[in-house]
Amino acid sequence: MTPAQTTRLDRPAPAPGLPLWRRLLLSEYLVLFLTVVYVAGMALIVPEILTADTWRDILAAMIPLLIVAIGQMFVLVVAGIDLSATSVLAFSSVLGAAVITMDGGPLVGLPAFLVVAIGILAFMAVGGAVGAFNGACTTRFNMPPFIVTLTTMMFFSGAAIWVTTLLTDDGSSIGSLPREFVFIGQGRVFELPFSLLIALAVGLLAHVALSHSLFGRWLFAIGINPNAAAVSGVPVRRTMFWAYVISGACAGLAAVIYTARLETGTPVLGQRILLDVVGAAVIGGVSLFGGKAKVLWVVFGALFLTVVDKGLQLLGLSLAGVFAIKGGVILLAAIVDAQRQRLKGRG
Amino acid sequence: MSLADSRKIRLLFLQNAPLILFLVLVLVFGSLSERFLSPTNFMNIVTQAAHIAIIAIGMTFVLLVAGIDLSVGANMYASCIVVALYMKGWNPVFGFAVAGFLGLLFGAVNAFVITRLRVPAFIATLATLFVGRAIALYLSGVKMIPFGKEILLLGRTTWLGLPVPIWIFLLVFVIAWVTLRLTTYGRQVYAVGADPEAAAKAGIDVRRILFSVYCIAGVCAAIGGLVSASQVAAASSTFGFQKEFPVIAAAVLGGTSLFGGRGGVVGTVFGAILIQTVENGLVMINADPYVYPLVVSAIIFIAVLVDSLRTGMLERLERRKIRVETA
Repeated sequence: MTPAQTTRLDRPAPAPGLPLWRRLLLSEYLVLFLTVVYVAGMALIVPEILTADTWRDILAAMIPLLIVAIGQMFVLVVAGIDLSATSVLAFSSVLGAAVITMDGGPLVGLPAFLVVAIGILAFMAVGGAVGAFNGACTTRFNMPPFIVTLTTMMFFSGAAIWVTTLLTDDGSSIGSLPREFVFIGQGRVFELPFSLLIALAVGLLAHVALSHSLFGRWLFAIGINPNAAAVSGVPVRRTMFWAYVISGACAGLAAVIYTARLETGTPVLGQRILLDVVGAAVIGGVSLFGGKAKVLWVVFGALFLTVVDKGLQLLGLSLAGVFAIKGGVILLAAIVDAQRQRLKGRG
Repeated sequence: MSLADSRKIRLLFLQNAPLILFLVLVLVFGSLSERFLSPTNFMNIVTQAAHIAIIAIGMTFVLLVAGIDLSVGANMYASCIVVALYMKGWNPVFGFAVAGFLGLLFGAVNAFVITRLRVPAFIATLATLFVGRAIALYLSGVKMIPFGKEILLLGRTTWLGLPVPIWIFLLVFVIAWVTLRLTTYGRQVYAVGADPEAAAKAGIDVRRILFSVYCIAGVCAAIGGLVSASQVAAASSTFGFQKEFPVIAAAVLGGTSLFGGRGGVVGTVFGAILIQTVENGLVMINADPYVYPLVVSAIIFIAVLVDSLRTGMLERLERRKIRVETA
């Protein structure tokens, strides 16, 4: 972090005179703190939450979510939103699996590493293409990102199911993926899950792109004030376009991990995590109004949501209970975000 | 001025694009299926579109102030499940009163979160969507709950040759139309949507207007829900699920702008009928059911694209009046 960025991007260091709750509300570690409190509280009711197995599950569930949420962050920072991320998961899972399947797929007979490489590229290309479509619509035709990505979400989740019915006999899923591909989701390197290494690489790349590059500066400039950015010579449309492409490509990459883990390409992938994706970013502190984001915040947000999920699961709550608490958590995060803006406006 | 003329022609085309779309669809479906063009089928389309139209009329108020309400589907589930569970054997008028009141409460919660806590409308209503469905799932025990006989009877009764759902829809439509066109309140809704700051300066209580439109959307969602209930007989755990898509689409197809200040309920009703025509047509020509969401979302997409193009073009046309462009 250069000093210039510290003053521009971060929240001002809370003055010591402020009341404790207000300092906490403005702290960037608020969510991490809440996670610790939640785990401590849960440990009293379900001690299993402290075991290594639980945390292995949490990590496994968090990795793909984190990758999608990091992509989402790039769109949120320019005050956009990408609701199509979950449909990209499903659509690229089906198309990608169709490319690499060993059960009569087009790549049968090629060396394994080539199949895996082409496969990953195919997943990300599908995601990137959907993202490019979203980006083109929002930047060229000034369509509201919310509605554009809502329709692409509907379209591509429908398309994922439709394509599956065309490609398979029973219309459920595409299996027979190469073992080397499955390794991406299930394998371990130096005792660490291989997917964790991917997530780390994505996080690092995203951090550099967002906080240490010209592209990142442009993103923030657009998010804070698009008109001022345009006047200052920022290629607003091009930058926003690429934000959507990144979001799509990240969702495609997450689909690689999900698909490799399940060993099948399926059109129902990620149907339920839309709220988690936007939620992880927003809960971490990425503003829906644009211009405020950091990869670390998204990590905290994804961790928090995954831990909450796991806790509810250990409690054995019904579907209704999980829905209610999750909706409540999202609402709470959005309210906190709005209040933060207000406090900052006054301070 | 041929340039301005061609622009005006394009604008005329864009403004009537949904109507053109409708005629094309009727021609296509009509040529593919003989049953499609029968008067009975048209009556069916309107009856089936009634609940979407009612909810979309409420949504129109919200869109007019540049807001959005994603929770209408959850609202109709939550409000109607109470009627299904606790009001069997009651006069349906009471059912509508109770559901309407619950819908109003639901809308008021949205309104409070949006106007008082200043949460962006789509995040607020996305969250209440989940909470609302959770409440309904909890009340129903995730089971299918049949509606009382009197609600079902309502769906089958006809009066003066028209099914009751159409009468309810017409009643809601007339009230909404009069409210928007002939009352001070209606003018204020348009004013807030066109420019909230100017509206505030003109002495309009902007927050109260914003609050009220979410309440109206809530009431309409509940009433539309019961109309739908009278046709589907039971509330399964997917009752009202993702209803927000066709509802928003109906309003937007009918020319209500997502950017606020422009549109009306006449267009919305047309949009609802257009969407139902598509679904009905797809059934009539025996299309692959997996293709339905693709076709419907593509049509919504076209509607939004047209809206955006129209908005951009209007802005450009208005700019020309103020400033003479130097070629």
